[in-house]
Amino acid sequence: MNTLPLGMIFALSVAAYLTGAFASLACWRKPVVARRICCSAALAGAALGGCAAVLGILRGTPVAWSVPSGIPLFAYSFSYDALAGFFNLALAITVAAVSIYSFGYLKAFEGKRNIGFFGFLFHLLLLSLTISFTAANAFLFLIAWEVMALAAYGLVTFYHEDRETRRAGLLYVIMAHIDTGCLLLGFALLINASGSAEFASFHKAAVQLSSAQQTAAFVLFFLGFGIKAGVIPFHIWLPAAHPVAPSNVSALLSGIVIKTGIYGMARIFLDSLGGVPSWAGLLVLIVGVVSAVLGVLYALMEHDLKRLLAYHSIENIGIILMGLGAALIFRVAGHPMLAAVALVAAMFHTLNHAIFKSLLFLGAGSVLHSTGTRNMEEMGGLIRPMPVTAFCFLIGAVAISGLPPLNGFVSEWLTYQTLLAGFGAISGLRRILFPLAGSMLALTGALAAACFVKAFAITFLALPRGAKSRNVQEAPRTMLIGMGWLTLACAALGLGATWFLPVFDAMTEQLLGQRVGAHLVTGHGLVLSAGMRTSGTVSPMVIAVGLLVLVLPAALLVAIGTRRFGRTRGPVWDCGLPGLSAENEYTATAFSKALRMIFSVLYKPRREIQAVFDVSPYFPKEIHFESEIDPTFEKRLYAPLQEFIFRFSSRMRTIQAGSIHAYLAYIFVTLVLLLLFGVRK
Amino acid sequence: MHFVPNPELGNRIITLMAALVLVLQIATVGQRGILSSIRIFAVQSFLLGAIAAVIAYFNQASHIYIAALLIVFLKAGLLPRLLERLVERIGIRREIEPLINVPLSILISGGLTLLGYVVAESFYHPEETSARAALGHNTLAVAIALFLIGFFVMVNRRKALTQVLGLLSLENGLFLAAISLTYGMPLMVELGIFFDVLVAVMILGILVFRIGETFDSMDVSKLRKLRE
Repeated sequence: MNTLPLGMIFALSVAAYLTGAFASLACWRKPVVARRICCSAALAGAALGGCAAVLGILRGTPVAWSVPSGIPLFAYSFSYDALAGFFNLALAITVAAVSIYSFGYLKAFEGKRNIGFFGFLFHLLLLSLTISFTAANAFLFLIAWEVMALAAYGLVTFYHEDRETRRAGLLYVIMAHIDTGCLLLGFALLINASGSAEFASFHKAAVQLSSAQQTAAFVLFFLGFGIKAGVIPFHIWLPAAHPVAPSNVSALLSGIVIKTGIYGMARIFLDSLGGVPSWAGLLVLIVGVVSAVLGVLYALMEHDLKRLLAYHSIENIGIILMGLGAALIFRVAGHPMLAAVALVAAMFHTLNHAIFKSLLFLGAGSVLHSTGTRNMEEMGGLIRPMPVTAFCFLIGAVAISGLPPLNGFVSEWLTYQTLLAGFGAISGLRRILFPLAGSMLALTGALAAACFVKAFAITFLALPRGAKSRNVQEAPRTMLIGMGWLTLACAALGLGATWFLPVFDAMTEQLLGQRVGAHLVTGHGLVLSAGMRTSGTVSPMVIAVGLLVLVLPAALLVAIGTRRFGRTRGPVWDCGLPGLSAENEYTATAFSKALRMIFSVLYKPRREIQAVFDVSPYFPKEIHFESEIDPTFEKRLYAPLQEFIFRFSSRMRTIQAGSIHAYLAYIFVTLVLLLLFGVRK
Repeated sequence: MHFVPNPELGNRIITLMAALVLVLQIATVGQRGILSSIRIFAVQSFLLGAIAAVIAYFNQASHIYIAALLIVFLKAGLLPRLLERLVERIGIRREIEPLINVPLSILISGGLTLLGYVVAESFYHPEETSARAALGHNTLAVAIALFLIGFFVMVNRRKALTQVLGLLSLENGLFLAAISLTYGMPLMVELGIFFDVLVAVMILGILVFRIGETFDSMDVSKLRKLRE
């Protein structure tokens, strides 16, 4: 097949993002024009990028272009292989939805905020994302990585008049730079060994690394990519930064930007380094388990709708890392087939999470757009004024909870199956970890379902809890279309999973030398299996049909009954006390009370109740209730670190005398000493 | 008939001029008047341009002529002009007492020149140098000395403007080192460096002017106040 069309289409999508960036910046005085340019350029870029991704995946073999830059070690090298194509596909699907959504969403910015500048940052982010997925030169990758961090910083702090937003932005930019620093050192190790910054040259170099260097490279890359992905304990920036951004940006941040960390791990650990030692795979698996369980537990305690979703991103990154860690372990242990299934599970969950998390953030954005609050305790009853948003959010919630027959179920099921298979395949004591990780995954799924029962019920059901959720309106049509597109994708990838799985063949063949798509599908393309003789099988399609069989007769009965007897509306069950009001409802805090008690070792909840009495203690006039959970990581890990840095810096201040002469003298003395040192040799 | 210049003659001329440049540099260390410092700098830069031209002639590297012309035009013409106008606008003509007094400063400059020779010696391998490279030997020592003394002037002087002069003569040292070691860098690089120097002087000029306005003085020791 000719490589030209793929290259052309990819270049065109890059050009669309570049044009979008500068054209919307140029029109910043005309908000309507800027909004239209920003959204349509993003849509065009996504469409072209999606075409390129499909071509790249179908092609199977990598395509590479390189333009020398004249600067040593640096070249504009791109390589479009199956892995790059897959992440570009996830990017395209998400961006398509977000850009349609933004047509309506950004309307609220007109006249209030600079849409031109927003568009500039937004397109810069998209551009850096697509380039970092395709870059084949370490420096090009790092430049894209850095542009991505800065553009994301600009978008996170878009509501910069808020103190909380600025703090979150600062935290984000600090963590992003620690992560770039780690990557820079990691790449320096590889470049030093290979003498070239091209990714292709790292294959040979990785073999020559000593085991200490290999360990250092793994740790640096894992830190760098782990911070970007938001794994625990490097997650603290994520629940701070994602909620404060505009909601369409939050969708991109949680949907795609944190996935660059996953992409980097797959690219470096599986492709460039050609596998990592067994303990490294175990570390990835354990970090994945910890992130998944703690992520969902912290999410349960959140009453801020967007923060809740942000914590779920940590949970899902954990699930992805479980699959990736298992793939790394299986690869070293000599089970390429299992490794390929685990990789498929991880990558499928990456795509699925990109889809349903952006769907949920867009839904939360619609709610925020209509009610003006992120606090769930002020919401309620939104399903009546906003039925479409509620439906889309519900689909997203079912998908993220890993319930059949949607896409989240398929990838979590595959992860689960590979973890269970690990017990039989791996020898030694560490094999106990696999069923343990599997049970933790099951726990995570159950807790996630509980959390989304809370999120959906408190937000959309019952009566409005606050003035802000009365008299609200459904979101504009473009926003609904954006969400609807992702809703469809959730259903399609769940029901059609058996047809989608062969997409991963090219990737697993390139990285692990195995094609497993055919093994995963049995029963005339309707039944999923995990590829092992002993593994279970499941068919989302049959489950869906079963659900329909259960639901249809009931619906039929209701329809017939309504026609024959008419419909009467009565009060809900009110315990004989007529006139139930919003005060009688469950609150989000109350709903999560049970879990707060069960996991109190972890949460260390603190609560304070103050009653104000008038006459008798039996009739309190006011009751103040305050409840908060212990921010363990911030308090025990980051606060001591911060204190150390402050103390160290105040020591260092004594040499910062503020005198130019002193500074010049420092440089001068250093220079003379170095010269003398050089001469001495 | 093709004329081949005698490299020995070129070497002598260059050594002589480099020595003059060094003397001028040490003269800056002892000089108190700002205007005369600027003029010394102008003469020094002119000599540098001349050295570049001589190297271009004896090595038949025609593109160095352009560099020579540029250095004469920019550093002996334009920059001193700009700095003189700045002096007139601020109205400060004399440098106050430097941090280290003049005799000691000149002694230190002598020491730095010695260091320059010691360093240059370590680059000198007579057994493998051709006549062409021998040309650079003395000049490199002078260049390093120029660089170090220029730096020393920046550390030692209190006025922002004399510090700018120190920076410029330091840059002259760099130019001399580059031209004596490589017989001319690619023209693009030279152009880039000249442009940098020009921009740097513009910015520094504005900065000096602002410092003078804000603190009623050009004494950079007063910048200490900016510290919280």
